[in-house]
Amino acid sequence: MDLIANLATGFAVSMTPANLGFCFLGALIGTLVGVLPGIAPITTIAILLPFTFSLPPSSSLIMLAGIFYGAQYGGSTTAILVNVPGESSSIVTCLDGHQMAKQGRAGQALAIAAIASFVAGTIATIVIATASAPLTWLALKFNAAEYFSLMVLGLTGSVVLAHGAPDKAIAMVLVGLLLGLVGIDVNSGAPRMTMDLADLGDGIGFVPIAIGMFGIAELAVTLGKVQDRSLLAVKLKDMWPSWAEIRQCIPAMLRGTALGSILGVLPGGGAALSSFAAYGLEKKVSRNSAQFGRGAIEGVAAPEAANNAGAQTSFIPLLTLGIPGNAIMALMVGAMMIQGIQPGPQVIVNQPDLFWGVITSMWLGNVMLVVLNLPMIGLWVALLRVPFRLMFPAIVLFCCIGTYSAGNTVFDIWVMLLFSALGVFFYKVGAEPAPFVLGFVLGPMMEENFRRAMYISRGDPLVFVERPISALLLLMAVVLLVILVLPSIRAKREEVFQE
Amino acid sequence: MLTRRIALCLAVSAATFALAAPPAWSQNFTKQVHIIVPYAPGGTSDIIARIIGPKLSEAIGQPVIVENKPSSSGNIGADFVAKSAPDGHTLLITDAGTLATQPNLVKKLSFDVQKDLVPVTLVMFSPYLFAVHPTVPVATLAELIAYDKANPGKLNVGTSGVGSIQHLTAIVLAKKYGIKWGIVPYRGGAAAIRAVVSNESNVIFNGALATMPFVAQNQLKGIAVSGDKRLPGLPNLPTFKELGMPIVETGSWQGFLTSKGTPAAMVARLNTELRKILATPEVVNKMAELGGDVKTSTPDEFGSWLTKAIGEWGEVVKAENISLD
Repeated sequence: MDLIANLATGFAVSMTPANLGFCFLGALIGTLVGVLPGIAPITTIAILLPFTFSLPPSSSLIMLAGIFYGAQYGGSTTAILVNVPGESSSIVTCLDGHQMAKQGRAGQALAIAAIASFVAGTIATIVIATASAPLTWLALKFNAAEYFSLMVLGLTGSVVLAHGAPDKAIAMVLVGLLLGLVGIDVNSGAPRMTMDLADLGDGIGFVPIAIGMFGIAELAVTLGKVQDRSLLAVKLKDMWPSWAEIRQCIPAMLRGTALGSILGVLPGGGAALSSFAAYGLEKKVSRNSAQFGRGAIEGVAAPEAANNAGAQTSFIPLLTLGIPGNAIMALMVGAMMIQGIQPGPQVIVNQPDLFWGVITSMWLGNVMLVVLNLPMIGLWVALLRVPFRLMFPAIVLFCCIGTYSAGNTVFDIWVMLLFSALGVFFYKVGAEPAPFVLGFVLGPMMEENFRRAMYISRGDPLVFVERPISALLLLMAVVLLVILVLPSIRAKREEVFQE
Repeated sequence: MLTRRIALCLAVSAATFALAAPPAWSQNFTKQVHIIVPYAPGGTSDIIARIIGPKLSEAIGQPVIVENKPSSSGNIGADFVAKSAPDGHTLLITDAGTLATQPNLVKKLSFDVQKDLVPVTLVMFSPYLFAVHPTVPVATLAELIAYDKANPGKLNVGTSGVGSIQHLTAIVLAKKYGIKWGIVPYRGGAAAIRAVVSNESNVIFNGALATMPFVAQNQLKGIAVSGDKRLPGLPNLPTFKELGMPIVETGSWQGFLTSKGTPAAMVARLNTELRKILATPEVVNKMAELGGDVKTSTPDEFGSWLTKAIGEWGEVVKAENISLD
């Protein structure tokens, strides 16, 4: 068995006391960075990069990888407790996780997030160890046309996400799309809607939007209501999910892991989609889909599993192709190059101990994260009992610091405050921010890839249906639309018949 | 007694320090130095800054802080340095994109590279590897030109963005050899490589080191290398110079600059310290691992290098009427 031999090679590297230490250190730093909103893992990795120069390559990569998946993990903590998503992937965790916290079930939400991440991390490690080759092949099959079709599917799915009226969700997606287009257009180089502000050249930042619309807006809305704090006084033994709840989540975790593992491999848009997709899928297939958005525990388990699985499989294109799928992976390329390792297909052949060492360390890191985080849940929940008059200013302060540190510019803080106000407005008119953010993230990628595919095909739109994967994705989007529309058609017909 | 002596020492050193704390126009460093990287963490400029930062701090006895002020073309960070106090305590490290192409592409730039910034030294030069996807049935430049004539519209160059050196290089070669390839901009070099390895686009000019492994693994096919030196790793590939190609010097390079009005003595001190650091074997090796040769210069040499680069690329930009505003 090659796999077992490979894993043995890997554990021989990752289980050395020093590497276990670096793995733990990475996971710990990552968790802290994830919990503090806005201090992005990418900044942390960049700052720590020089310290890793003197380490052996395997130790340095093990630690940096630990920071990355530790942050994914930590990000869900703030999403659940105070509705501040650290990254695009934890936005979905806000939806039901924060609702659970409001109902006094923060402990269960945090625990299920930890358990789901662990289950997904374990499975994703096995996926990387066994299925790297076919997944690499898939990643290479994804060209502009496929990306476009994937984004169409994602946006169609986002309407399913919303638990309110679909027309409002569609409107929010469109507003998101529009704002996503601000900035210099990649295909033509022309600035669009930048109002001649250099700060808008790269578009509106994602961090200020997410922190403003979710974090601050949520605070403002909460302030406007009478507080019922009795819910927050939970006893420790009530903090754990019951066995029945865990069992209820297992299928959600598995589906989330599967989606996350596949989407995580796609460079660029994939990872952002995975938690949204997992949530959307769960909402469709779950037996208590009515609970989604009102504190459904599967609504936490599925996206948490998906984003952790996706975070791990996003290492596949890096390790097998040398192609970074996102900005953090690009930083990892830098880290490897400084160590004298040129990332690429030759790594797995020439340095199997490094390759398998890093992969097995991911599983060890996940074990450490659970060990680290489960006992912390009591502490986090206790934080909720801090009086609002102390907690609110602290959160606002952290949001401002986080927003500033993401781009080192004061402009972003103003953007964040603007979107806080907009977030409150959206709440008042009953429109949800999640479809907006999805439109904002996916819209520009959809446009960019549409135009790129059209340019490369020299204007032939058939390219989207001639390529099999693209055609399949578009077909799925159509089916999804039909499913969406059918019940309302049926409902209308019933109305007609009743009259 | 001991305590009094220590107290005296402290008082004296404090006094010396106060006396030694020189006015801003002197060539000593009086407070922390900021190196501004106008790109997101992880790029070449960022990594260079983080390698050099601690060593510069050791040399000047003041903390050195690397700060990212990211924007797609580096203009925001460069503008920040241009408007900083002219005391040599705020440095800019950036590349050909900010320094040579942006001034030509953006008319409403809030600063002038040559007037508002003072060159300190060049840091690194890395040549481009000119490669195609293996399914393109050509092995030489001549074959590529012939293939394009026979199959118009089949070739697409993946570049790191509109107006990037890669983009302008593709334009110059298209003009010189009558090649009708499409030019497809991506968000950065890594995205362009992904696209060409997956055959979305099929021609690339990209940093030699980052591209070499793909050629070694037959995921890309090398055609030539820019500059006048063959790559030790791929000795069979001819250079742009050997092939008589235009813009032999195309490639990526980085340099240090500071704010205008910085006293010449301060610039000279920075130049000396940075070149000392860049000459150590450790740094030379790290740069080689990043894919480039250390290439330092005097401030004046860097100034003329900038004038030449801005002029050369300016001609291409004007001839093609490319604009980013």
